[in-house]
Amino acid sequence: MPDLPRRKVGIVACSGEERAEGTVTRRAALEVLERLRPGDTVTICLPLFLAGGEGDRAFARFYPTVTVDGCEKRCAAKATERYSGKPAAAMIVTEIAKENGIGPIEGPRQLNEAGLQAVSATAGRITDCVDVLLRSPRGGIDPMPRDTAAPPPGSSEPVGATCACGSGLPVRTVAIGEMPVPLVALPLIFEQFRKAGKGANQSTASELLETVRIYNSLPDGAERACAAALLDEYAAFLAEEGATP
Amino acid sequence: MSRPDRRVAIVPCSGIGKTYGSVSREAAYELVEDLRPESTELVALSLLVLGDGEARAVLAASPAVTVDGCKLACATKMVKGSGGTVARAVDVLDAYRRNRHLKPRGIADLNEDGRTLAHVVAGELAEAVDRIRDGQGGDDA
Repeated sequence: MPDLPRRKVGIVACSGEERAEGTVTRRAALEVLERLRPGDTVTICLPLFLAGGEGDRAFARFYPTVTVDGCEKRCAAKATERYSGKPAAAMIVTEIAKENGIGPIEGPRQLNEAGLQAVSATAGRITDCVDVLLRSPRGGIDPMPRDTAAPPPGSSEPVGATCACGSGLPVRTVAIGEMPVPLVALPLIFEQFRKAGKGANQSTASELLETVRIYNSLPDGAERACAAALLDEYAAFLAEEGATP
Repeated sequence: MSRPDRRVAIVPCSGIGKTYGSVSREAAYELVEDLRPESTELVALSLLVLGDGEARAVLAASPAVTVDGCKLACATKMVKGSGGTVARAVDVLDAYRRNRHLKPRGIADLNEDGRTLAHVVAGELAEAVDRIRDGQGGDDA
């Protein structure tokens, strides 16, 4: 496998500034990112799906992503699916609060006691999703109810939240049949193959296909076309690098 | 012409992975809740990302002041992309450069310097709002 960033789960919070539940999403996401699962999670600012580049929009295709929304408008879930990729799991703070008998949540700037309880319950739900996703093959899950409360804030030393803002996952677009398909991490994969001295031949084609599949959803039933397209693109990459295809 | 009835839309960035995103959020709250509650209205960036009709309507009716926490300037880009008018774009990093003695830290919980920088930014926002309402427009109008 190429030397790519190790598998992590993405967390996208709506962060809605005008509602207390939006603040809950932000604080719960940060609780997971900084304290509960700091090595296993990464985040990105929701607006970057529009204001950022192609690498930012590739976020949910590269990381299985959990979206956390404050209300039924579901801005984070809908925008993630529309602009980046289908979230692996999605949750809404108002529903979590209702299930846990929490409320009313108030204070977008300074959460009240119910808001802090909602942060803990939501952080617990996110953590459950992260753990399931890291154990599972690529794919979505339904968030499971949490049986035990998350550790209270401050129970362990926080580390800085890992932010993918502007990190720009490398993407290269390949024509598969008539369809241009942007493939996340393909430049890194090609570079790894080149360093390993792999030529642009049939055995490399199937290996490329399997590796690219780890990080991307490829069109169903198009394995042969995908492998051929990847091989052509790899040959072009080697030529660009001045290597022998 | 003075427009004392004119409300100003305040759009802070949603920066979740960086301290300056939290500073922009806290500054916006201080402005809207403490300094100019009668003349400002907070617009959530996530609603603009989704193209929410009500949020776009607010921007169509009101000049906007954006508060960005990094050079990617999501808030400013999103307001412009949503058909709004950016009357003033405030960059938290500029405020930091003018106040280098402050060392903001923390995201979920800003340290004292972070809260102080937010207070400085909130003051700049209040001045910008007053100028806009006095009909002087903003620096970026």
